Amino acid sequence: MNPVAGIGLRSPHLAAIGRERPATGFLEIHAENYLAESPALQAVERLRADYAFSIHAVGLSLGSADGLDTAHLARVAALVKRLEPAWVSDHLSWSMTGGRYFNDLLPLPYTEEALEVVVRNVGRLQDAVGRQVSIENPSCYLGFADSTLSEPEFLSELARRSGCGLLLDPNNIVVTAHNLRLDPRDWLDGLPGPAITEYHLAGHATNDADGEPILIDDHGSRVSDGVWALFAEVVKRFGARPTLIEWDTDIPLLGVLLDEAARAASMIETVIAAGGQDAARAA
Amino acid sequence: MPLALRDLQAAFAAHVMGADRADLLTAVAGDTIPATARLSVHRHHVFESLGAALAATFPTVQALVGPDFFRGLARAFVGHTLPLQPVLTEYGSDFPDFIAGYETARDLPYLADVARLDWALNVAFHAPPNGRLQATDLSAVPAERLPSLSIALAVGAVLVNSRYPLDRIWETSQPGAASETVDLSSGASNLLVLRRPDDAAFVSLSAGEAAFAAALGAGMSLEQAAGAAFQGDPAFDLSTAFARLLSLGAFAALQ
Repeated sequence: MNPVAGIGLRSPHLAAIGRERPATGFLEIHAENYLAESPALQAVERLRADYAFSIHAVGLSLGSADGLDTAHLARVAALVKRLEPAWVSDHLSWSMTGGRYFNDLLPLPYTEEALEVVVRNVGRLQDAVGRQVSIENPSCYLGFADSTLSEPEFLSELARRSGCGLLLDPNNIVVTAHNLRLDPRDWLDGLPGPAITEYHLAGHATNDADGEPILIDDHGSRVSDGVWALFAEVVKRFGARPTLIEWDTDIPLLGVLLDEAARAASMIETVIAAGGQDAARAA
Repeated sequence: MPLALRDLQAAFAAHVMGADRADLLTAVAGDTIPATARLSVHRHHVFESLGAALAATFPTVQALVGPDFFRGLARAFVGHTLPLQPVLTEYGSDFPDFIAGYETARDLPYLADVARLDWALNVAFHAPPNGRLQATDLSAVPAERLPSLSIALAVGAVLVNSRYPLDRIWETSQPGAASETVDLSSGASNLLVLRRPDDAAFVSLSAGEAAFAAALGAGMSLEQAAGAAFQGDPAFDLSTAFARLLSLGAFAALQ
């Protein structure tokens, strides 16, 4: 299998991609930016013939105890139907409560109650789009005292009960592990490899929290050396998957994203060539 | 007794918006980085990211007041009105009215109108480009029926009226525009914002054209709308105004 690496499609690059049609494995869009009949959606439709697409939602709020926003779910499902992407995903987090949207990937306690909520919401999403969706591990800045499961245990159980895929983001693992004092390699133990459908890579920032460093998943720089090292470990353990470079703040020239994607593809190739892969998946 | 998930999320939301929630601080596992510092990462992100969304939707307001003032204005609005759904380009319809009542912006009386123009351009940009009335559609309508015909404005077509020269203020606030002074007393403006094939833009209407378009938008027939326009502007010419608005794609296709 050829390693496939793609880039997040961001509005400052839309014109250049339409003009130059650069070679890249796939393009990923944020669902919430393409739900209206804007010129941006028209531009994406023109790119459909030349690129595979991934639709990554950021606002479905799959962890909401209130359940999913029916109107928003219908709009995302209509976009999926219209663009027929190769992959559909959102996050293990919540962003709505009491009918208000907070525009943040807010953390969940990892409890049986929360698991049941997310399984139910993911099931509803998969029914609405008529296919498997993948759920991404979040960047965490805090944990809850009442959690009874670890994050990888929660994700594994979510995949088992709902049939969803897992979108593994090594940058988020590094951020979470640093902020919650975990070992990122231990975090990988016990994840169900065959459920993993896609990888995300991005940069993070280091901020100060009451005199101590806290890592922030700001998608505003190149992938760090530590994240590249963990990515190599991930590929060695679980095999090659479609891999995305994301960049959302201080967006650089298109060439920088393509360069990062090429680096990801070449790293996958190197690791697989050295014998590290999930034999069943790569066959 | 742990908080039920719905209660935990309500407490989290209240904390983000500035409330003091002891039950939440107990639920969050703190260590050398205390729970409050960890939670403040989210509070910061909610306000900053929604402020950035407002800046993207209201670029002319931000250009006029500068990024620092805009950040304070946006924070105040976010604290007052959160989005009701996740599509951020649909957040901020109340921002112009909020600006009109914002004490610190009182020496910029035209700012709320600039925000209305930014919002209208945003709405037009996200409106479908099709479904417009074509001249050929009218040839099928019997002449005697024309006066009683109701023609709606196209989706995304919005009138923005102001007692200030909004078009001049907008133009001098665009990136790269030469800095110049706009005489605020130089006259009112009647702007029609429209979706074009690849963007959204506005045109300047005469008072009569604006009254005519507003009357049609309110559901009046062509005859009634023309009457309304004449009342406000004796120089109003129905056939010229109609032809202009038609060629601009301002009308919705007949139902």
